[in-house]
Amino acid sequence: MHSQRNTRILPGTPWIIHVGMDDMTAGVAASGAALAHADFQPPGGGDPRRVRMLTDLAEAPVAERVDSANKIALERFQASQPHLVGVGTALDTIPGMEEGLFLHAGPPIGWERMSGPLRGAVIGGALLEGLASTPTQAEALASSGAIRFQPCHAHQAVGPMAGLVTPSMPVWIVEDHGGHNQGKRSFCTLNEGLGKVLRYGAFSSEVLERLRFMETTLAPALAAALEESGPVDLKLLMAQALQMGDEGHNRNRAGTSLLIRELAPHLAALPLAREDLSRSLAFMHANDHFFLNLSMPMAKCMLMAAEDVPLSSMLTVMCRNGTDFGVQVASMPGRWFTGPAMQVRGLYFPGFSASDANPDIGDSAIMETSGIGGFAMAAAPAIVQFVGGTVADALATTRRMARITLGRNSTWAIPSLDFLGTPTGIDLLRVESLNLLPAINTGIAHREPGVGQVGAGLVSPPWECFHQALSAFHQHVMETIPHHAEPV
Amino acid sequence: MKEHILLHRGTYHDSAFLMRISRELGALDGVSEAVVVMGTEMNRALLLDVGFSAEQLASATPMDMLVALRLEREGLVSRVQERLEQLLRGGTRSSTASSGSGEPRYPSLPEAMEALPAANIVSIAVAGPYATHLAHQALAAGRHVFLFSDNVPLDDEIRLKRLGRELGLLVMGPDCGTSIIDGTGLGFTNRVPRGSIGLAGPSGTGIQELSCLVARGGGGISQAIGTGGRDLSAPVGGLMTTMALDMLDQDPSTRVMVLVAKPPDGQVADELHRKLRTLSKPVVVRYLGRPPASARDGVNYCSSIDEAARLALALSGTPSSAPPADEARQPPPSVRGRLVGLFAGGSLTLESAEILRRHGIAAHLTHQLLAPGRALPPQPHFLVDTGGDLYTRGRPHPMVDQDTGLELMEWLGSMPDTGILLMDLVLGDGAHPDPAPGLASTMESIKRKLGAKAPLLVCSITGVARDPQDPAAQRGILEQAGARVFPSATTAATFAARALRQQHRGNHHA
Repeated sequence: MHSQRNTRILPGTPWIIHVGMDDMTAGVAASGAALAHADFQPPGGGDPRRVRMLTDLAEAPVAERVDSANKIALERFQASQPHLVGVGTALDTIPGMEEGLFLHAGPPIGWERMSGPLRGAVIGGALLEGLASTPTQAEALASSGAIRFQPCHAHQAVGPMAGLVTPSMPVWIVEDHGGHNQGKRSFCTLNEGLGKVLRYGAFSSEVLERLRFMETTLAPALAAALEESGPVDLKLLMAQALQMGDEGHNRNRAGTSLLIRELAPHLAALPLAREDLSRSLAFMHANDHFFLNLSMPMAKCMLMAAEDVPLSSMLTVMCRNGTDFGVQVASMPGRWFTGPAMQVRGLYFPGFSASDANPDIGDSAIMETSGIGGFAMAAAPAIVQFVGGTVADALATTRRMARITLGRNSTWAIPSLDFLGTPTGIDLLRVESLNLLPAINTGIAHREPGVGQVGAGLVSPPWECFHQALSAFHQHVMETIPHHAEPV
Repeated sequence: MKEHILLHRGTYHDSAFLMRISRELGALDGVSEAVVVMGTEMNRALLLDVGFSAEQLASATPMDMLVALRLEREGLVSRVQERLEQLLRGGTRSSTASSGSGEPRYPSLPEAMEALPAANIVSIAVAGPYATHLAHQALAAGRHVFLFSDNVPLDDEIRLKRLGRELGLLVMGPDCGTSIIDGTGLGFTNRVPRGSIGLAGPSGTGIQELSCLVARGGGGISQAIGTGGRDLSAPVGGLMTTMALDMLDQDPSTRVMVLVAKPPDGQVADELHRKLRTLSKPVVVRYLGRPPASARDGVNYCSSIDEAARLALALSGTPSSAPPADEARQPPPSVRGRLVGLFAGGSLTLESAEILRRHGIAAHLTHQLLAPGRALPPQPHFLVDTGGDLYTRGRPHPMVDQDTGLELMEWLGSMPDTGILLMDLVLGDGAHPDPAPGLASTMESIKRKLGAKAPLLVCSITGVARDPQDPAAQRGILEQAGARVFPSATTAATFAARALRQQHRGNHHA
């Protein structure tokens, strides 16, 4: 036997990662080298075209460029400092807002394809704006083309459920105070509360009456209070809410409480009638989701900072209009990739069942896009029944989502995971190559207009939008890195 | 006969696991056939071809598991389903070898590489169409690649290897059976000692045979770099073989290099020759299946694997021990009839055909699919590569699974006009854990049928004493069954040829 010392041809001691049939590792084990196994799933669901695209995108020079682009996008997202700076009317504050223009949740859609809750909200909006005096008139107007429809996302805005924004509605103004997009603003209406509300397609007089109270009493009071308080750091508020048991989508109780605490002293100092002040505070208190309409524009503001980074595969939008689910990717801002909105799996309020449910609706998936909601499920043991029942499931969901994200949030930490940051920056390529869809927490709307919320649960986007986005991204990369297209 | 298809959605399994499930379900009473595959286009077309209905297959995706059944009677489906659930619950790992071994397991390759930045080699054994994606991920993360998978598109191979060279990373494969890198065996390997002889080339079994002969001759292996079955084809042009040779030339532990390969395309052989001339260390080359050759421009072209091993040992200064060729000189019996060669891989099939030819026996390398009841090749003597595509589609490699080889052995060996069964037994890690008993019992069964007319079994064993199967024990079992056993394909074929020629001579004298 030879006793000579052998040199190595590879740097480091042999250390093998094996993928695939386990039987093939006997030699590694026998020689005593370090060995680890990696499980395997066919990328792109095994579809030959998608396997090809993902293979092209995994090639070293390309993958390197995409990685650096994703780092930039994620850094811009993390550096964004969304602050609540005021309340204004949609017409005055939202860029591109006009009379006769209604904004809605989700990707673009016309009246004829709108689902019940969105149609109901449009009717309510027309009544509120005084464009029609009866629901029938409102419908006729909407279907005639006299009302134009555009997505909130096309106007730096977001809206939960139907997400309807009409010109006269008051909106929160959120402004970026840091990083790449300094000064850029995002917008969202004020949350109306639970039950029969416009965002679930209700348009009865009680709904319109409440909206008028918000417009004439609540919004001016909040605007004045904010002038006194100065900008409110929303990211910080969100960080505290996550440590108090919110996940920022289906549970917003802590965030709402923190916001009231922030604003109450300034509201109390305003020259308001006592009953207006009391009603305003009671209104916010009665609605656990009041903070959602602030965390959503906060998330939108941060994700806008990541937009327009060539070669980045980070998602910047996930949203639904009740008919379609749509996503956008950082490197292709403004381009929609859509598929059918799915049914939500969840728990129903007494008296309702799956047959009452509308398909998935609302811009609130912006929360998951920014790494909270379903991605921060581990922070919210109080609502675990929505995602399968146990605290362990909630932890597992957050860990699973970390597999499809680019990094960990630098501000939002989860106590039950040793203060690890929430999984942040959904990577289109990880979703496709690991066959793993984002998990979205959401409310369930009744499919008829005006009934309201009938439950809450978990939903996944349809694969179609990711498949479309992959094709477009592959093309974008091949055009941006032209040398790659050369034949070998 | 009832055809039935079960569809399991969204459950991907590797082929080894699927084959195990197929076998278990096929063994159930009343199940005449069970084929378990993933719903890829190719597999769906395959099932359609053999008579399953299009509607049931239409909705399957590559992520869905298809269980295609032929049942002897109604009412069996629920029993099959029950057994299937049981098997799925029992765990989806294809192997017992590494289960419970405590080796860390990660949910995907990127996550494993992120967690283990010091891991330097990624070994890939997944279905061909998916292998390129993983190999690119590994290269992009700066890891060397051992790519066991076959059916990888040629363009992918070229791109991977070009990129590997650019990045200074090995791309061993696709279709790479064997490598030993820094003492670590990848794929099918034998537990040979480390030493001063470096091996490289596309032929996995060739590397195994050489490494074992070097070890038996008292030498050791510095590195063995498998480069994948197509590396010396014209389109690939030896991209990895030349890189491997350069690495061996620079490796201080390597004193002699051996290249073992099926004969390259003409232009590739010329370019490779120019490359070999420039290397600073002695180079020994064996192109399998080539007629006798000699040194040219300082490159030692050899006439057999055995000769290559002897020369490498001599050039490395290893004190010579008994030359293995002597073993072929034991007196052969006189044998009449047909020679049937059954091999587990193309390399030794090719090499054996040439050795036989050299000794006056024309043995045809048959490319027709042989199975009990089918026609025989027209030639008097023929060799079968049971590791070829005809036999391995949807089945495990014959070095792991003996079924095909033993079935052919029983059928062809039971023909009274068969005089010699020439076979190879490749041992080592990755190979069948105990192959000799299968051959011995098949031989007994043939003898029960034919008595004294049973053919002579001539078998080579590729292995070393430290291999898990224990070559001495394997040899003992075969010899007990009347077989003549040799330490190399060269010696086995030489012996077989001489046995047949004695018969010819005997006929002349008669």
